Amino acid sequence: MIPALEATGLGRRYGRAWALRDCSLSVPAGRVAALVGPNGAGKTTLLHLAVGLLSPTAGSVRVFGETGRRDRVAFLAQDKPLYDGFTVAETLRFGRGLNPSWDDGFARERLAALGIPLRGKTGALSGGQRAQVALTVALAKRPRLLVLDEPLANLDPLARHAVMRGLMEAVAETGLSVLLSSHVVSDLEHTCDWLVVLNGGRVQVSGAVDDLLEGHRLLTGPAEEADAVAARLPVVARDRAGRRETLLARAGDPVLGPAWASAPVSLDDLVMAYLREPEAAALPRPALAR
Amino acid sequence: MIDFRLDPRSGVATYRQLVDQVKHALRLGLLRPGDRLPTAKEVVAKLTINPNTVLKAYRELEREGLATGRPGLGTFITGEPALGGTLADHARLHAELSEWVRRARAAGLGREDVEALVSSAVFESFRETA
Amino acid sequence: MFWLTWRQHRAQMLVTASFLLALGALLLGSAIEAAVYAAAHAPPGCPGPSVACAEVGAGLSARYQAVYSLYGWMPLLAPALIGAFWGAPLLGREYERGTHLLAWTQSVSPARWLAVKLGVLGGAVALGGLALSAMATAWRASFPDSVAGTWFGNLGVFNMVGVVPAAWWAFAFATGAAAGAFLRRTLPAMAVTVAVVAAAVFGLFSLSDHYAEPARTVTTDRAAVFARDSRLLREAWVAPSGAETEAVPMTVCPSPPDAGRSGRNAEARERCLFQAGYRLAVYHHPPERFWRFQWIEAGILLAASAVLGAAAVARTLRR
Repeated sequence: MIPALEATGLGRRYGRAWALRDCSLSVPAGRVAALVGPNGAGKTTLLHLAVGLLSPTAGSVRVFGETGRRDRVAFLAQDKPLYDGFTVAETLRFGRGLNPSWDDGFARERLAALGIPLRGKTGALSGGQRAQVALTVALAKRPRLLVLDEPLANLDPLARHAVMRGLMEAVAETGLSVLLSSHVVSDLEHTCDWLVVLNGGRVQVSGAVDDLLEGHRLLTGPAEEADAVAARLPVVARDRAGRRETLLARAGDPVLGPAWASAPVSLDDLVMAYLREPEAAALPRPALAR
Repeated sequence: MIDFRLDPRSGVATYRQLVDQVKHALRLGLLRPGDRLPTAKEVVAKLTINPNTVLKAYRELEREGLATGRPGLGTFITGEPALGGTLADHARLHAELSEWVRRARAAGLGREDVEALVSSAVFESFRETA
Repeated sequence: MFWLTWRQHRAQMLVTASFLLALGALLLGSAIEAAVYAAAHAPPGCPGPSVACAEVGAGLSARYQAVYSLYGWMPLLAPALIGAFWGAPLLGREYERGTHLLAWTQSVSPARWLAVKLGVLGGAVALGGLALSAMATAWRASFPDSVAGTWFGNLGVFNMVGVVPAAWWAFAFATGAAAGAFLRRTLPAMAVTVAVVAAAVFGLFSLSDHYAEPARTVTTDRAAVFARDSRLLREAWVAPSGAETEAVPMTVCPSPPDAGRSGRNAEARERCLFQAGYRLAVYHHPPERFWRFQWIEAGILLAASAVLGAAAVARTLRR
């Protein structure tokens, strides 16, 4: 199957500084992929490259195997830009005028269900309503891939939940593929099934969330034995507390001595461990990257 | 219809929680063969989870022979989980356990004390046999 | 796309249209009032040499000057405003508010978005400039030549009639668009636009004398050259030998000592020099060059507009 997003050796330079470098990743169709990384990791650059707002300095990026198909990918930029002087109805008219594939019935129904009046100016909407209008404009275009840059930032918890639910409902209805960036991992726990970790302009992790969670364990045992365990297993991160040490290892469920306890990792543990160790990497084998 | 809930701190994968809740409902008779499971969209609207997770849980139920997906109609319960013992055994044991819980409470135990005792007894018993 | 262009820029369009309408009403009122005044006061035989005619001429001139003193600012003011309010926000405001990220990720490509905006707004601006020019021409034509007879000789008038105003408006619009594309902020782009337009206005005012090789008329009658609507550049004396000189040595036709009546003395000396065989060489652009100069100036401005517009497009589409 053709991946929703495929980057090959993708890089982008501003002046002499590389914002993104040697980025190769593949997100399968139908996934809700999370792009995670600290500020300045190159997340926005990668997203802007994916939607064609930027052109690559090196390599290429394809959406469903093609480049430059603006009708197939929708983008919700950070801070949800809308024309503040427009009414909500005019904002829909903007979308209708600029997108041949526009689904006006869907847009109106969605806003009606959310209780957002068409007559009000977008500049007067609450943060949550503004995000919903922006999301409606992106969805009514009927894209195959929806790219969102920090869609949950600056929203209160209720609005965060509502936006995420709207997004998940759209995925359930249309089979849309999603790529969204976030620096808050807890928002993504139940909603994203593909994880991409970007750090310092490079891809550190890319894979199915379930595979990643099953493929890592938290191992706790005596500190003096930790080196021996670390020599046997690929260890991402180590954390020593007194005479005990906890290792986050890339391994199924290894058989260790009786002094060792093995526990599953959470998405949060996993992401934090990789971000703290920029040299570690968990990139998919070609079979996973299908 | 079954009402799914999530326990975010359980450490159990989301799809596994859904599968377990269907099985639990089947054991308690809350779900019966022929019942329709909520659509992915209905679950998503309630729980705000990835629809792929719901589909993955339903595939797991199909694999275990408990449910069947009918295109365009939904996913329906078609089997019952393999029950250890007979239904009569279950009824008798449930009555005995209820009586035990009543006695524990009469002795001044709280809910957490009761749960701790039960789970420790279950743990020890199954460890011995394992 | 056309609706979007209208919706986003309707404020500028409506304000500009209202301004042109108000100006048109003012000019029409002025022309009608002048005509009524002339009809009521001019005795038969005017224009003519009579004192009454001269009085009516002075009255008309006062009426003309009252409006012209306001209207004379148009060649500078109108392009500056167009550049600041039509051109600078076109891209500056999109970047400033982040809405370019919304506009340029729709199915319509940024290239088409920009082409429609530049095309529609640039066209509207050029039409506005032409409307201003047509109104100025009609208004001036309603006054007698003795009052408003100069079209070419006066640079201010030259810049408010013909095709030049439209070219100025288009140039200012392109300047604003380019400033917005590069500065990505509305207010700085407005400031730069006004500065560039003002510099260009004064620059072309001085450059326009060089649009063609000046005509050289050798004459003893300066007034004859002046009477035509020529643009005068400079004068020189031509000695009987044919040599040209800026100043004739005081040994020829010595001027009597100045007694506070230098004008009369100078006239007397000129008469003396003419009798001595000297001639005046007047360098000027004759009025027949009006359209040639109009098109040269418009050509320069439109070429500059094209360069600025291309720069704005290149900057915007470079991703």
